[in-house]
Amino acid sequence: MLKYTAKRLAYSVLILFFVMFIIYVLMYNMPSGFVETKARELASRPGATKSYAEWLADLNAQYGMDKGVVRGYLIWLGNAVRGNWGDSWVWNVPVTVEFHNTVWYSFALGLVAFILEILIAIPLGITAARKQYSFTDYFTTVVAMVCISMPTFFVATVLKYIFSVKLGWFDLSGMQGRNYMALSDFGKFLDVAKHFVLPLITLVIISIGGLMRYTRTNMLEVLSADYIRTARAKGVPERTVINRHAFRNTFIPLVTMLGGTLPGLFSGALITETLFSIRGIGFASYTSMTQADIPFIMFYLAFISILTLLGNLISDLLYAAADPRVRLS
Amino acid sequence: MSNKGYSLNEVLKARKAAGQDRQPQGDEVKLDDLSRVKVLSPGRQVFKRFIRNRLAVFGSVTLILMFLFSFVGPLFYPYGQKQIFYKYEPRNVDYGMVKENTAYSGFDVEGGATVERTVNNRMNSIIKNMLSAGVDVDYVQGDEKAYRIEKLADDVYLASAADMQEVCYYGSGEAEIGTYSMVGKKLDYVRDPVEGLEDAVRAAIASDAKGGTFELDGVKYTYTRGKAKSYAITASFDGVQYVDAPMDAGFEAALDAEIHLDGTGFAYNGEDFALAKDGGTWHAYRLVEPRQAKVYSRLTNSTYEAGAAVSPALNLNALLATATGGSFEADGQSWTLSKAEGGWLVRDAAGNEFMEMTPFSVRRYDGADTMEYGLKKALTEKAQEMAAADARTGTLTYALPMQTETGEYVVDEAGNVSTQETELTLNRSQTGEYVVNCQQIIYVINMFDAPSGEHILGTDGDGFDVFARIMYGGRVSLMVGFVVVFLETFLGVIMGGLSGYYGGWVDMLIMRLVDIFYCLPYMPIMIIIGALMDAMRMDTYIRLIVMMAALGIMGWASVARLVRGQILTLREQEFMVATEATGIRVKDRIFHHLVPNIMPQLIVQATMGMGSVILTESTLSFLGLGVKHPLATWGTIINSVSSASAMQHYAFIWIPVGLLICMTVIAFNFVGDGLRDAYDPKAKR
Repeated sequence: MLKYTAKRLAYSVLILFFVMFIIYVLMYNMPSGFVETKARELASRPGATKSYAEWLADLNAQYGMDKGVVRGYLIWLGNAVRGNWGDSWVWNVPVTVEFHNTVWYSFALGLVAFILEILIAIPLGITAARKQYSFTDYFTTVVAMVCISMPTFFVATVLKYIFSVKLGWFDLSGMQGRNYMALSDFGKFLDVAKHFVLPLITLVIISIGGLMRYTRTNMLEVLSADYIRTARAKGVPERTVINRHAFRNTFIPLVTMLGGTLPGLFSGALITETLFSIRGIGFASYTSMTQADIPFIMFYLAFISILTLLGNLISDLLYAAADPRVRLS
Repeated sequence: MSNKGYSLNEVLKARKAAGQDRQPQGDEVKLDDLSRVKVLSPGRQVFKRFIRNRLAVFGSVTLILMFLFSFVGPLFYPYGQKQIFYKYEPRNVDYGMVKENTAYSGFDVEGGATVERTVNNRMNSIIKNMLSAGVDVDYVQGDEKAYRIEKLADDVYLASAADMQEVCYYGSGEAEIGTYSMVGKKLDYVRDPVEGLEDAVRAAIASDAKGGTFELDGVKYTYTRGKAKSYAITASFDGVQYVDAPMDAGFEAALDAEIHLDGTGFAYNGEDFALAKDGGTWHAYRLVEPRQAKVYSRLTNSTYEAGAAVSPALNLNALLATATGGSFEADGQSWTLSKAEGGWLVRDAAGNEFMEMTPFSVRRYDGADTMEYGLKKALTEKAQEMAAADARTGTLTYALPMQTETGEYVVDEAGNVSTQETELTLNRSQTGEYVVNCQQIIYVINMFDAPSGEHILGTDGDGFDVFARIMYGGRVSLMVGFVVVFLETFLGVIMGGLSGYYGGWVDMLIMRLVDIFYCLPYMPIMIIIGALMDAMRMDTYIRLIVMMAALGIMGWASVARLVRGQILTLREQEFMVATEATGIRVKDRIFHHLVPNIMPQLIVQATMGMGSVILTESTLSFLGLGVKHPLATWGTIINSVSSASAMQHYAFIWIPVGLLICMTVIAFNFVGDGLRDAYDPKAKR
């Protein structure tokens, strides 16, 4: 197991190397003169600490733009490995500082959405599977499908229209109310929590369908297995069949999948955060992407790639841990 | 019997043709009799299972409707996606303005002298100084000439130019003469030496060594003791010093009076003299033969007949005539000028009123001078009245040309323009102008029109028909879905096929590539590419192509993995051994024997993929990073009304479009699900 993990880790590093290379090439091929424009813009910004020539030299040296793609990449990689990710062009602070400022909002949002999703989707999926072809089953299936098929921006717009515009319960966007500064610490917490409600609902709606379908499919598979038929034949009560024999076996793929999504809680919800102006890592990176903030984008994409690879690894390891029949090699 | 093989259906058909399918009456049909067996081909089995699935059928019908709507609908719908709609609407427009001219404009006198540019530029302030000082004649020195500015009448001034000749200078002042050194007993002059001065200085120092004054030839000298035993000598002068021939005492009196007034010039004995001050000294110049140069006026001509031309000569002569009034000649005709209220009235030879000259200018904002005299007069009077009362707003009613609903002027049988009483509002602006507002029917873009019979879903912020845009948007969205899915399936089948069939290092290489593409963050990269295309200001059609290519390249990995997995299991089966044994070419083995066997999975994957590609495309377009205006897609239509206020007021635009996106994606997913179940009934259910 340890050997397998080590091997997978080494392999992930290799993949990461190439993934970042592809992303670097994309960044490197920004239209010609882009760095110059960026340097001019940065130098003319109010409060700029460096002149145009300094910015240009700085940017070129930092990202190896004046050298070839491969050498530039290696220079960037060398800096990154040493933890030197550079200063964000948009946020005017070191990339890691901006990361710290934003990632915890994203994590809070993601975690609550994740818990709600589990609490709603898994029971519904199991119920649907138990009563296959019933009204509940059809209803759940259709609802799940609708949730999967709705674009995030449409869900967000509908929610804003109903709850912000028509009912006026929540603000349209942002994370703080107008009188935020006048509130006590607990009041501030409640204020931010209130602004997180609509994004949270959006996230739950768009992600609930997949988990519901996944649970239902796996439950159906388990319910048609021989050992369930055997248990029923032996006269085991239906409750025990479902809760002990069936659910425990459905648990394996569920744990595997959910475990794999755990690292994703840190990656932020790019579209949702942007639509609701939640200052999480997703919104920060969206802003950086549209304004070509190369240091922050490189950092964010590296971060997401690492999370993806980590998710795959966790998923595989959990699979082996939860199912004794599986052996890793 | 065909040589293709044994087919139960064909056996049954042959029997039926031979009339053998009917059993003789009375005989019992055996349970396994061939006539009781109905065999379906695999394709028909799949179809039968598929149509039994209600959701799948719903999805299929929805998709067919959506395709008809998007691809056939525009053929029957009268409007295009980029057609802008206009309408006529009564609006309160800035009709014109009334302004009291404050600036004087100059008109050259025919055959007269020219005015230097620097003087010409200063003329407005010179005239204003004359006004505030209450003088009628003023003199100005330019670099080359001197000018006499004379008031002809209120608001009309005449500038004449003349050569300058210095007459005298006048004043009291001091001039440094030089330094007298006790050591060298010598006077060092800084100016021309004065005869006898050295001796006079010496005598003065001898009488009083501290310093003092003495006179020599009527000039007063002062000597003061400085450092190193030296004296600074200065001369004082006072009174008139003539350059040429001296003038008489009357001149000196006039000069004296003018200097006391701190004036700019005076007339004496039929001649004009300009004064210039240089430090404490005044210089008087004679204006030699002044010639008329330019007339400055702030009067505006308003002709009685709208749009009648006023020639420059008429304008100039009329202005010159303001000094005396009465008749004058211009353009070979004789005209009469008379004083009118607030200005001057010009009549032609026949005694008809031709034009009025007032300091008020009234004009239309559109530049065309289509205002008739009566309206100009009424507006001017109103403005004067408001100025007198210091009112900010005022209204008057006047018969303006009548407009039809399409904004055209109504003309009666006699060819005269019909009029309509219209209320005009005058507002004084910060700059002192009076802006005239009134209701006019004008041609505007039909923005955010609510749904009506003409526009089923109304119009959007650019005056486009929303329903037409939804149709064309559907075209783009569905087309993007098809192209991208085709591209990713094509790439995926080739890569997966090669990988699964060959195994070994090819498999190794391709699978590592798949791993890398799996790891690439999909949405961020699309956003970056979108921002990049923004920076390059790419054409919207090229954007569309780039976006489709990028989506296809990003999505092939999952197809490749699926194909490889299937091929790995199929490769071991007997029919593949057979293809190898019979020596079929590798290309045919992969694409004729393996790929058709994975077709079901591919079709399911492609159908589901279509939905997700449409979602991605609409999200990107919504963010403004995909397809751009004026090309319509469902995402851009929603984006155009995504601001808070637009969202609130124009729900009739974004709700139908959002529902269409949902319906399409749901339909693709239902069909995909249905197909999967139909192909492989045992798999999940």
